[in-house]
Amino acid sequence: MSDPITILGIETSCDDTAAAVLRDAGQGPEILSNRVAGQAELHAAFGGVVPEIAARAHAERVDLVIEAALEEAGVQLSGIDAIAVTAGPGLIGGVLAGVMAAKAIGFAAAKPVIAVNHLAGHALTPRLTDGLAYPYLVLLVSGGHCQFLRVDGPDSFTRLGGTIDDAPGEAFDKAARLLGLPQPGGPSVERAARNGDPTRFDLPRPLVDRPGLDLSFSGLKTAILRARDGLVTAQGGLREADVADLSASFQQAVADVLTEKSRRALAGQTGLSGFAVAGGVAANNQLRSGLQSVAEEAGVPFVAPPLALCTDNGAMIAYAGLELHRLGRRDGPAFPARPRWPLDAAAVPILGSGKKGAKA
Amino acid sequence: MTILAFDTSGPFVSVALATDGRVISESFAEMARGQAEALMPMIADLMAEAGIRRSDIAAVAVGTGPGNFTGLRIAVSAARGLALALGRPALGVSGFEALVEDVSGLCLASLPAPREQVYLQMLRDGQPEGEAWLSGLDDITAEPTPDVVIGHTADRIAACLGTSGAPAELVRPAAAIARIATRKLAVSAEHPRPAPLYVRPADAAPSRDGAPVILP
Repeated sequence: MSDPITILGIETSCDDTAAAVLRDAGQGPEILSNRVAGQAELHAAFGGVVPEIAARAHAERVDLVIEAALEEAGVQLSGIDAIAVTAGPGLIGGVLAGVMAAKAIGFAAAKPVIAVNHLAGHALTPRLTDGLAYPYLVLLVSGGHCQFLRVDGPDSFTRLGGTIDDAPGEAFDKAARLLGLPQPGGPSVERAARNGDPTRFDLPRPLVDRPGLDLSFSGLKTAILRARDGLVTAQGGLREADVADLSASFQQAVADVLTEKSRRALAGQTGLSGFAVAGGVAANNQLRSGLQSVAEEAGVPFVAPPLALCTDNGAMIAYAGLELHRLGRRDGPAFPARPRWPLDAAAVPILGSGKKGAKA
Repeated sequence: MTILAFDTSGPFVSVALATDGRVISESFAEMARGQAEALMPMIADLMAEAGIRRSDIAAVAVGTGPGNFTGLRIAVSAARGLALALGRPALGVSGFEALVEDVSGLCLASLPAPREQVYLQMLRDGQPEGEAWLSGLDDITAEPTPDVVIGHTADRIAACLGTSGAPAELVRPAAAIARIATRKLAVSAEHPRPAPLYVRPADAAPSRDGAPVILP
């Protein structure tokens, strides 16, 4: 079909320093290496990602992670066709570290650099893992993002709806802090919820009573805070069963909202080859099974990439770079790092609509 | 031996090329923002004008600050990337070292910090002694008393310490960085990868959400 192509992918937009080498020799993309250096321990005391701490770590790790990825792949820079790097949206200090490393390597090794939108990396992952054909619907759900995207090509995205405030991953982190569970909140809330009663607390399902595909999670954060404080006031603290029931009720509320909005999103689209989920929150099993069932109802295949390719990684950036490379995209040495970079430039901003423009 | 040096620790991009310790070419642009966009094109242009090929670069030297945090990371990330791809070492040179390049004896170097403060570092014959620190202008102490204070508000600091002062600012630092790196490489070929010299810890407060009491 086309010439073999090898891409180095670099991702530094949040709290994972990641690099990967991807090759497509004509039989589909093959991940030769996919290295991620996480920073959970650096941010643990702060109950969330601290931008300055993240930026410091990226600047002193990105070259080490790139070296490790090249070595594991057994590929030298001379064997790379292009360098794909996340140029936004994200925490600008981290994005800059990856972008500068990529530009420097591109200059020194005389290789083209391709600026990749982080969200495109997530949204194209179902093609990397399952070869899903265009067009498809993807629910991108992570610590920083939540949106429904119709994907018609590597640079053709239509945002159908998204969160008007917080992202679900952030809400899971907040819930974990309120319940005394460790960070990151997604896995710890899911673990605690296993033995819990999801019906004990009547938490809201924000915006489900309204038409459309926009979502909101900030009210859910307030609701779990109120429920917790009610128990603390009444009994002086939380019992293990309370933590389990609150976790289960919270997780159920998030899954219900995302599942119902996914049902509506699928009902509004025709000709889809499938429905996919991407982003770190896609690791949640209850959410996955809810999404699976709405895909079945709609009669479209459901794709949920493996966890390592749902959370931030370099392989997804390399893959997005590969598709853009085939379209002839090359970015010169002067492209900017962009804290805000909506995938669908035509959509009306729903987040960060101030003078700096839409966030994502 | 040609060294490529650059610095974006302040509102500027400073780039220099030095062969055998002599600066052969340099460029400088003042800019409050846009260093991430401008740095690589400025390096490429300077090398092209000087007729220096990528394979001629024996080492990459970078200004590690202290200074603007984002600027420090732009330069350090680029230096590390260049080193990786060229297969050549990258080494860091601090703004203090660049400021007092040719000063002998015990010197206190001063660079501007936010909110009317200064970054300070003791150096003996140009070599840093101890850790750099951040100080307000009214409560500066230094032991032992330096022979001279050089840098930002050096007069005022020197008066405080009862020694002599020579006010100076870091200008076009890449040239000095290239020369200092040449000397460092003559002493040793092995250097740690460059890292920003922040001096100040990251601004971060522990979470306000207190964990609840867990009852038995």
